[in-house]
Amino acid sequence: MSYAIETQELQYRAGRTFELGPLNLHVPAGAIYGFLGPNGSGKTTTIRLCLGLLRAERGGVRVLGHDVPSQAPAMFARVGYVPERSHLYPNLTVREALALHGAFHRRWDHQAAAELLGTFQLQGDTRIGRLSKGENGKLLMLLALAQRPDLLVLDEPTDGLDPVVRRDVLMALIDFVSESGATVFISSHLVHELERICDWVGVMDRGRLVAEVPMHSFKNGIKRLRVRNAPAQAGDPPFVLLARERGDGASGTEVWVVRGWQATMRQYFEGIGAVLQDVVDLDLEEGFVELLRTARVPRGS
Amino acid sequence: MFDEIDPRNPIPLYDQIAARIRLAVASGDLAEGDALPSVRQLAARLRINPATVVQAYRALEREGFVEMRQGSGTYVRSVSTDRRRQTREDQAARLARDLLTEAARLGIAGTEVARALQREMGARAQ
Repeated sequence: MSYAIETQELQYRAGRTFELGPLNLHVPAGAIYGFLGPNGSGKTTTIRLCLGLLRAERGGVRVLGHDVPSQAPAMFARVGYVPERSHLYPNLTVREALALHGAFHRRWDHQAAAELLGTFQLQGDTRIGRLSKGENGKLLMLLALAQRPDLLVLDEPTDGLDPVVRRDVLMALIDFVSESGATVFISSHLVHELERICDWVGVMDRGRLVAEVPMHSFKNGIKRLRVRNAPAQAGDPPFVLLARERGDGASGTEVWVVRGWQATMRQYFEGIGAVLQDVVDLDLEEGFVELLRTARVPRGS
Repeated sequence: MFDEIDPRNPIPLYDQIAARIRLAVASGDLAEGDALPSVRQLAARLRINPATVVQAYRALEREGFVEMRQGSGTYVRSVSTDRRRQTREDQAARLARDLLTEAARLGIAGTEVARALQREMGARAQ
């Protein structure tokens, strides 16, 4: 498989308290990759390291086959980036910002830029400092899309925007991806939004990548089981037992959080003399919460 | 037609889309020769990964419900009356299974559900 973004043992430190890595990230070419993690888990830092905007302490980064930071200019010609905070000059008008960005990008598509201006209902003569938050978000996405990139790196592109603006921005993004086949690396707290569009998920926690899997296996792999009469010593289960807790129903009922569940594993419970009452599917958000919770708490406590 | 697509549902999105189209064909909402929305249109409208739409259309093509014509689009094929009836029956069976599973979860017996279903049908017939 070829990767649009690949890091090897990437490490970074900020002050005494924040340490990132060693990080081995693999974003498959052509994927829409959702980058999840709680606040402060290192998502933005990772993105900035991948784009050469921060200098790593150790390890390597390759983006679209270019070594970062040594080949960063060649890489940047092919990457559209929407940063967490707007980096645009507030005194420029929207039209001037388009002209400025267009001048830097060889593949700039004037026609696409004009169309998106209409789609997003942005006025060319408005000063950027006077744009609303939603308009600013749309402008950032427009600039990233109009450069026709091979890779889009989006750091919380829709967080804090209203639902109508979010829908417009995502529709424009998907339209571009359908047409171009570009890779998308997107970080967000809006888990349900990522659930719709992503086919890969990476989960960060405390500077480490705790999971990196295709979306369907992430969603199918983690289940909550309701189990009755399980012995204290559960033997050797065929799945990964992430947590085992007392249930809120009748006594003797427990909730097991497991990874790698398959329907054929029901037999295991008969073998240990327990009753499997229910298998609850988790959506991406619940799976994400369970993964973080169980990653932090030692098993069985 | 795609309003009830739910990304939080454990059934994969492509499967939900395919099921919706299968039923539309079975119920006659889509007729032979009708064009499905383009991958680009449907992905943007549902705000989902274009690859998911392609996956759904490919599954429907394998089953013989649609035909993907290179560079033109995806079109509904002729589907026999028997096959259409079977598709509706399969979907009805699936709904019944889901209902019984949900009832069991809440501690309601299958016979109680069946009685309630009869009553509701009676109420609607009036």
